[in-house]
Parts: sequence; C-alpha cells; structure tokens
Amino acid sequence: MSDDSEPQRRSRSGVGVEPNSRTDGGSVETTVEAWTPSRPALSTRVGRPLVLGIVTLVVLVLSVPVVVTFVSSFAETATGILPRGFVTFEHWRDVLGLGDDQMAVIPGLAFSLVIATGGMILNVVIGVPIAYALTRYEFYARDWLNTLAIVPLVPGVVLGLAFVQTYPNHGRSALGLIAGYCLLKSPYMVLTVQSSFQSMDLVRLEESARSLGASWPRTFLTVIVPHAKRGILAGCIITWTLAAAEFNFTFMVVSGSPDPFAVFLYRNTSNATYMQQAAAVSVYFLLVVSAIAVLQLIGNRGFTTIRDQ
Amino acid sequence: MSIRESTAASVRRVAIFASTTARPTTERERERRRIAIMCLPFFALATVAGFVPLAMLVRMSVAADAIWIEGWSLDAWRTLLTEPTYRRVAWNTVWFVGLATVVSVVLGVAVAHALEKYDLPFERVVVAAVSFPIALPGIIVAILVIAMLGRQGLVTNAIAAVTGTSAIDLASATAITGLFLGYVYSLVPRATMVLRGTYAEVNTQAEEAARSLGASRWETFYHVTLPEIRPGIAAATILTFRSGLAIFGTVLLLQSHYVVTLQIQREISVGTYRPDVAAAIGLVYVVFIVAFTFVGLRFVRTDTVTL
Repeated sequence: MSDDSEPQRRSRSGVGVEPNSRTDGGSVETTVEAWTPSRPALSTRVGRPLVLGIVTLVVLVLSVPVVVTFVSSFAETATGILPRGFVTFEHWRDVLGLGDDQMAVIPGLAFSLVIATGGMILNVVIGVPIAYALTRYEFYARDWLNTLAIVPLVPGVVLGLAFVQTYPNHGRSALGLIAGYCLLKSPYMVLTVQSSFQSMDLVRLEESARSLGASWPRTFLTVIVPHAKRGILAGCIITWTLAAAEFNFTFMVVSGSPDPFAVFLYRNTSNATYMQQAAAVSVYFLLVVSAIAVLQLIGNRGFTTIRDQ
Repeated sequence: MSIRESTAASVRRVAIFASTTARPTTERERERRRIAIMCLPFFALATVAGFVPLAMLVRMSVAADAIWIEGWSLDAWRTLLTEPTYRRVAWNTVWFVGLATVVSVVLGVAVAHALEKYDLPFERVVVAAVSFPIALPGIIVAILVIAMLGRQGLVTNAIAAVTGTSAIDLASATAITGLFLGYVYSLVPRATMVLRGTYAEVNTQAEEAARSLGASRWETFYHVTLPEIRPGIAAATILTFRSGLAIFGTVLLLQSHYVVTLQIQREISVGTYRPDVAAAIGLVYVVFIVAFTFVGLRFVRTDTVTL
C-alpha cells in the first residue's frame, strides 16, 4: 500500500505556486506543475483486499474449529453459544482412563500407535531401498514404477474390502492392519526419502566408499542410509501420525477389541458427551502438534513431504 | 520365423536375463541385480497387500456366491449397469467432489499467492493453520463440522442468538452444505500445499518486468503468473480430486449425500448385503482413479504430486 500513498502525498504538497526565499534576499517564484497520479488500477484497489479477505476466511475456517474443540475440552458445559465453566480436567480424566467412564481412549490409541509403529518400521524396510533405486539408477519402466510407488492408487475403503475377503483369517488381525497401513502410507515415506536422496551426490558418495574398499551392501547401509537420516525420520513421523488415526481402511477391516483410535471415535459419537469427544479428539491434536514440531526441528516445512531448500 | 520359434527365443532371452541378474558377471549385470534387490521388498508388499486383494476383488465381482467365492455370474455387473441408483451415485460423486475440488483449488491459489507475494503479519500462523488439517482423518473433520454447525454447534447457536430463530432449524451439519464444508476443510490444505511448491518456483523477474512495463496487478497475474503456475494448478486438481473421491469418514458420520465410498459401505451392511456389487463398484472406482491419475499425470511432472 505504501507505494500508492507516497506519490499522492507528494502531489498534494507540490500543487500550485510556492514562493521560495533565497539566501541572498531575492525571491523566485517556482511554478510546480500539478502532478496528479492516475488512480490506482481496479485490481490494486480490489484485488489485494479480496485475496487477503479470502486468506483470512480460510485461516479462520480451518483453525477456529480446532481451537474451539481444544478449548471446550476443558469446559464444564457447552450449552449456549460459548462453552462455560473453566477450567476442569474431568473430561481429560475420562478420556485418559483415570475416571470410571466408558470413554477411555487410551487402550484404542495405544493399540493404534503400536500398529502404526509396526507399519512405520515396515515402511522403512520397503521405502528406503526403492527410493534409492528410483533416484540413483536409470532403468526400464522406471517412470511407471515411480508413479506406482509415490501415488496411492487404491483407496483405503476398497483395499479394506478386498483385504478381508482375500485373507479371512489374518486380514482382520494386527498383522493385516500393519500390512495395509504400510502400503497405504508408503508414498509419503518414498517421497520424503527420495527428496533427501535427490539433494545428495549419490554417485560420488558411492564411488568414494567403494574405492576405499567398502562392499556395496556396506556402502548402502553405513554410508548412504545415514546420510538420508533426516528424510527417513521425517517419513517415519508422517507415516506414523497418519496411520495412528487411519479410518477408512481400518473401519472396513477391523472387528474386535480394542477398537483402533479412529474407529473408537466413530462408535462413540452418539454416547459420549460433546466435551468428552472434544477431549478425545484433542489427544490426537496434541500428537499432530508434536509431530509438526519435530518435523520443523529436522528441517521439514511442517506436515508435508516438501523440504525447505 | 514361426510363432513357436519366436516364443522359444523370447523365453530363452527372459531366462538368460533372469540368470544373469541372479548370477552377475559384469558390472552392468551387477547393477541390474542391485536394482532388483532394492525394488523387491516393495514389490513383495505391493503383491501381497495390493495386487492379490485386487485380483480377489475381480473374482468376487463375478462370483455366483460372493460369500464363499463359488461359481460364475455377471449378476453384479448387470445390477450395476441397469439399476438407476448406481448411475445416480456416480453422478452424485462426480459433481460433488468436482465442485469441492474447484472451490479448494481456487482458495488454494489465493492462499499460496498471499503467502508468497504479500508480507503477511502472522505468516507462520497462516502456514500452521493451513498445513495442520492434512493430518486430520475424515472422521475428526466430521466431528469438527458437528461441533460448529450441529444442533449444539458454536456457529448455529451464535446465529440463533442473533436472529432469534431456533437452533434446531439452523443446524446444517447433516445437510449437504455441512458435508461440503467438511470436504473443503480436508481438501484446501492439500491444494495449498501443492500450489505453494509451485509458487516457490515462479520467476519473479518476469512479473516485475510486466509491472514496470505498465501492466496492472491483475494483468500481471493473468498473463504472467497464471501461465507459470498452470502445471501446479493441474497437479493440485488431480491430487485434490483423488483425495476427495477417497473421503469416507466424513460422509459416513454426516450421511447427507450418497457418494461412492458410502455406497460401498452400504453394500456390505446388514440388510443390503451384496458383496459382489460392492466389489464391482470398488473395481470401477479403482479403474477410474488409476485412469484419471495417469491421464492427468501426462500433463504434469510426477514429482509435483506430494502429500
């Protein structure tokens, strides 16, 4: 805005005739041409406020529900416009299993986190090698393989439906969930590790290690992989957090106890109070916030596979 | 050369290829073995958890008895083609997700533009607010929509207090508008994420040149910036549309519009149990997504499709 207001101010003071006194006593009359800038274009006057308005609206719509939910988990009652009766930890106690309520989220969340950890470990085992092969080598059908590895082609609902029918005995078990989570979330691991590899001179690194006498497996495990540790860590955090609250695949597959976290939330939408539910959801918010904090600490741009240059 | 000879030659070539990959003697063959070893774990998982279940889905859709997978019948496909319900579900899905995609990408362009070009006062807050919902599953998005627009929702009660109407009449969480808001809530962050990556690569010198040559801000955006971010817009549209098609938790909880994922769930529910039809819908859905992605990716670079 400053670039528009500056010339206007100058023109106002410069309008008309200004008598200037000279140091030697005489006087001159300088005629300054009145200079009126053309009005700023429509897009300058309307465009920027419009875009800023849209951005404000988007940020409010995205953040207000999260903040309100988190805040009202500490409230006593939510009847009326704003939640009232601060601060109580009653609902957090219920959710964390310290009270004697049905709404204890911890068993389900712990189950989900264990399975997510299994999926994450499996993802390192399958994701890092293929990310390396795709970045380091040129080979037949590389582009197709790349697309297959980084684009999740089968939606969770359909995969869950097929999974149960294919593996009636193990599909519903923790093992089935681990395999499903791993496949569904593998693109995020491959992408983050790939972007980590792309910023390294892989050929030179490999050739130095080999010429110093390391075998190829040793080069890969002790030289290449440690260099990509930030990418691997970022991929682990993203796949782990996403798997912890996976719903679509889990809902189609799971039938038993304990219910995984997201399925537990779904089953309790009708019999939990609004504040209890707010507290249960807030537990996951805290998990995501800590994941984002760690990601930013290791140089990621937040919850994304894009890295800061 | 006869067909038999040529087949035999092909088989021999493949066998030699396989044996040299397994027991390499030259550096090139060794490299091929390394590539094979590196890709093997992924392929093993993709086969066990992806390809085999998909093949099972095909078998299910043409089975006469879809529970024990016995016999052959095209009943499911005939139902899918003849009953108007399924055409309506397909149309419902496409227009609803398409509209949500268009709105999300437009909003994403605005947010990415503001983040890149303007000096926003709370830029980190904006970035955090825009990237946080990516991690939220559909079920939590639905809970948030209910918390805002439900009968006890904050927005509902605020409007009810101002206008004096009953909150029950105003509640729109389980109306189609509430569902649409839920979709946009999930999709805007994804679109923005892709577009921010594109905006970071825009050539600012060309924009400055256009401005100093007298183009207005709108003309600069339309003639200079927009052509540069067009691949990003295409990538964001593909990703957003795909993500929108896969949304299930939100629509399962809000239940206000029959889209494909909800229909699949209905087909395997008690009372309307038709697993063969569910499998057929699932196959159409997967084929559509794969075709859409591959056709779309012909126009953009693959690595722009991110989280």
